[in-house]
Amino acid sequence: MLKNKYKNKLAVNVLAFIALMTGFFVPILAHAYTGITIVISTPSSVNTEFIDNFKEELISGKNTNLHVKVIELQVAEKLVVAENSELVIALGVKALEAASKLKHSTPVLGVFTPLPTYNTLLLSSRRVLGNFSAIVLDQPYRRRMSLIKTVMPNVKNLGILLGPTSSQDSEFLKDLGEKYTLNILQENVNQESDLIPKLHKLLDSTDALMAIPDPLVYSRETAQPILLTSYRHQKPVFGYSQSYVRSGALAGVYSSTKQLAQQAAEIAVKSQQAPGFLPPPQTPKYFSVMINYQVARSLNFQLEDEDTIYKKMLVLEDVQ
Amino acid sequence: MINFKYPVLLVMLFIMNSQQAIAEEAIAVESDEKDVWPQVLASQYLTEDDYLGDVPKALTVSRLSQSLADAASAITVIDRETIRASGILDLPEIFRLVPGFYVGTNAGYVYNTNHTVSYHGMTTAYSGSMQVLLNGRSVYSPLFGGVNWSELPLAIADIERIEITRGPNAASYGANSFFGVINIITQNPSDLAGSNIFVTHGNGRNEVFYRNAGKLNDLTYRFTTGYREDDGLDNRNDFKRTRLLSAQADYQVNEKNGLELELGLAEGARGEGNINEDPIIFLPRTKQINNHYALVRWRHNVSDTSDFSLQAYYSYDRSDDETTSINLRPLIATLNPVIAAAMVSDNLYVKNEVIQKRTDIEAQHTFAVNDNIRAVWGGSIRQDTMYAPYYLGTRKTDYFDLQRLFGHVEWRPFEKLTLNTGAMVEHNDFTGTDISPRASINFKPNQNHAFRLGISSALRTPNYLEEKFQDRLVILTTLANPNALILQFRANKGNVKPEQIISRELGYMGKIGHLQLDVRLFSDIIDDVIRFNQRTDFTAPTNTLLLNPFVDVDINSGMNDGSAAAEGFEWQAAWQFTNKTKLLLNHAYVHIRETQEDLKRNYVKSMPRNTFSALITHKFNKKWDASFAYYQTSEATLLGDGDPVDLIRKCDLRLARKFSSNNWNGEVSAVVENLFNDHYQEFADYNILKRRAHINLRLDF
Repeated sequence: MLKNKYKNKLAVNVLAFIALMTGFFVPILAHAYTGITIVISTPSSVNTEFIDNFKEELISGKNTNLHVKVIELQVAEKLVVAENSELVIALGVKALEAASKLKHSTPVLGVFTPLPTYNTLLLSSRRVLGNFSAIVLDQPYRRRMSLIKTVMPNVKNLGILLGPTSSQDSEFLKDLGEKYTLNILQENVNQESDLIPKLHKLLDSTDALMAIPDPLVYSRETAQPILLTSYRHQKPVFGYSQSYVRSGALAGVYSSTKQLAQQAAEIAVKSQQAPGFLPPPQTPKYFSVMINYQVARSLNFQLEDEDTIYKKMLVLEDVQ
Repeated sequence: MINFKYPVLLVMLFIMNSQQAIAEEAIAVESDEKDVWPQVLASQYLTEDDYLGDVPKALTVSRLSQSLADAASAITVIDRETIRASGILDLPEIFRLVPGFYVGTNAGYVYNTNHTVSYHGMTTAYSGSMQVLLNGRSVYSPLFGGVNWSELPLAIADIERIEITRGPNAASYGANSFFGVINIITQNPSDLAGSNIFVTHGNGRNEVFYRNAGKLNDLTYRFTTGYREDDGLDNRNDFKRTRLLSAQADYQVNEKNGLELELGLAEGARGEGNINEDPIIFLPRTKQINNHYALVRWRHNVSDTSDFSLQAYYSYDRSDDETTSINLRPLIATLNPVIAAAMVSDNLYVKNEVIQKRTDIEAQHTFAVNDNIRAVWGGSIRQDTMYAPYYLGTRKTDYFDLQRLFGHVEWRPFEKLTLNTGAMVEHNDFTGTDISPRASINFKPNQNHAFRLGISSALRTPNYLEEKFQDRLVILTTLANPNALILQFRANKGNVKPEQIISRELGYMGKIGHLQLDVRLFSDIIDDVIRFNQRTDFTAPTNTLLLNPFVDVDINSGMNDGSAAAEGFEWQAAWQFTNKTKLLLNHAYVHIRETQEDLKRNYVKSMPRNTFSALITHKFNKKWDASFAYYQTSEATLLGDGDPVDLIRKCDLRLARKFSSNNWNGEVSAVVENLFNDHYQEFADYNILKRRAHINLRLDF
């Protein structure tokens, strides 16, 4: 049923429109400007880096009038103080989950949040798009395919391993693959023990593997077996994160903390003009390319530098 | 609205809308929101950690091998699929698909009857001129040199791939990596799951194997056990019964440390003796073999650019061979009736028990100096012990100690250029200290073409047969003089220097469309060739009678004598016509010259001038596939126990069908070897090969 529904893109667009409209009709409480609150679960280095970069972005954009306050979940258990903020930026899933429970008139923007988790939170919090948005961690598939085509122009069969969470993207990936002249070969993993046999099956018939985040398929525990098995088949893996590439994938696109902070700052500035109207959730706007050259050499790929590949990708994306 | 172009977002919006129904249902059953929500959290909930958190390094610097285009030598990789398609039953048969290789079925009859595998000639009954490793463990036997293939605790189904270095590679693998190196790698336990049964039934062959693999927390394991019944060739006493057990476990201690364990066991009966070659003493008989080994390897990921490994293994190989000769009295009587009458016994009983043990510890450190320089260095110590009273002429155990230090550097001054250089310094009890250096330069105009120019030197340490054998038959008499009759086979003087090879090569690797090509031009110069020369200065102990002058048997000693050269070219082509059809072609032209005139044996013909093989595989559909193999070797005269043999042409056909149900998958296949039933001789005139067929069944559950 899902598939049929999805195939009808028009219907999807209409639904999307309705979803957005419902967002507009949420009653907005007029309240005084109280600045931006960044909610974090722990003062981890990534979070600190984000906050610093975010502030710098505001300063460099001459938006010094935006006051930034940071609340740490563990320290300030009473998150309600954030409710008066003009915008709450929640870093990470825990922070977003907590922020989603704030009163619905407080706009919440999630950062460092995977798309499926954002969806779950959106549903469970019964919030609406206009006041609950995110810059998700997931890079758009279009961008990822564009990287694959740039790095391996001759690639024909691209393998994907989907789990219970990622399987909903199956049809979409196949359609998009066609645009990039990629034949998407898919295996579904429904239990952990299926993983390696399905991977073997896939590697036998594909030129490369594109890793798609799913808690059952791609985790810290499965990274090593997946990367080693693919390597033994001499098939490159395209990762979805920097650490995946570092661990042994051939290449990946990612957005740095600075790039995400830049995008968040842009949203914050815009929402200042129209408080309570957050843009819809979005994928990272700015990104970088990462290549594991050691892996490339071992697989006998002569790859250009990351910057050249990045520029070629932009051209390819435009063409597509 | 630009962001709406992003596909993920559409998906997300879709999900959001479609799940409204789910939410309504939840309300309808008055389910508490808090109860529904954490369930989702617990099982399938992606967090930022999945994207931003550290992932343990999978492809560490030591796991990343050089690409074939960067390698210092020509390397042929035989993968599982090729092994499957070839339909082979005996592992050495697969080397017929490697250019420049000669494979002789069931060569020899003296110590054991196994396949001989050689590269570029000097082929004796034992595969002595190549190093053979099984998961990094040397299975090269120092007794006769070479490998007792049928005694390896290894099921073909467990092999992941075989990497064959064509050319000397002593800088990496040490002495005896002379003409080449065979590295057999089994499947990683983490690549397997569940149970399999493998059954083979055919002409003179029955096999059954059971394998189980699984995962217990951070431990992955695999064990395989089975029984192999091989009746051998029609006219020979070369049957083999083998019970096998092999086990492998990987334990990931933490992100930085891993432990690998291996155990193996092979035992059973072997038919030995060749009535046509020796109808008097070593008659057809049954002997027992009993081998086992254990290996432990610690892998430590020092940093992003550095890995360390420490490996230790112990192996034990025992062969228990007893033989009773025919009544010797009438034979001796033709020499001297008086002595014959005084013989203590009619028959001669020989107990030929051989126990070989090996203990080896090796440490290796791989590191990247920078993006363009990678190095590996390490050292090992080994002790081989040899108990072989009959062969060595002493009940004492002999000890052979070996120490090695090796280093190898890969440098890429430019993306298109790779330089490899390395050396191994080795000290052993037989030949002292030696060094084997190597250097090569690889030029890659682009990722589809690579040229390699290389020079490599390697040594082959004399084996026990060449250095220490003192095997003789002693027939006791009741007389004072002679109180014994002695027939001496080898009386080694010792102090044999290692054979030395200097190999020069020009290689090309190319990818042209669907064709992959590997071409190699080579020139191997072998100095200090070890061969058996007749000893005329042998003196028998006093009061004994030396039978050698009367019986036509030379007393030999291993000696360094002269030089030889092997020159020629070889190529391998893998052609993937379509997704369904693949062709593999191999050809080698090897010309051996003797550079000195005084060589006794005819080394020139110890390798067929031309060897050719082809394997074509075709998948008809998801269930059916077939393969056809063709092998051709020109005439040759093999050394050792070998004979002149004619041109051989052999065709093999295999047809397979996969099947599956809910609970199990499997495959059934039928193989016909020597399709046209050409009764050809291989290695020696006592080996006559005929058509044979077998069916195989594999069940996965």
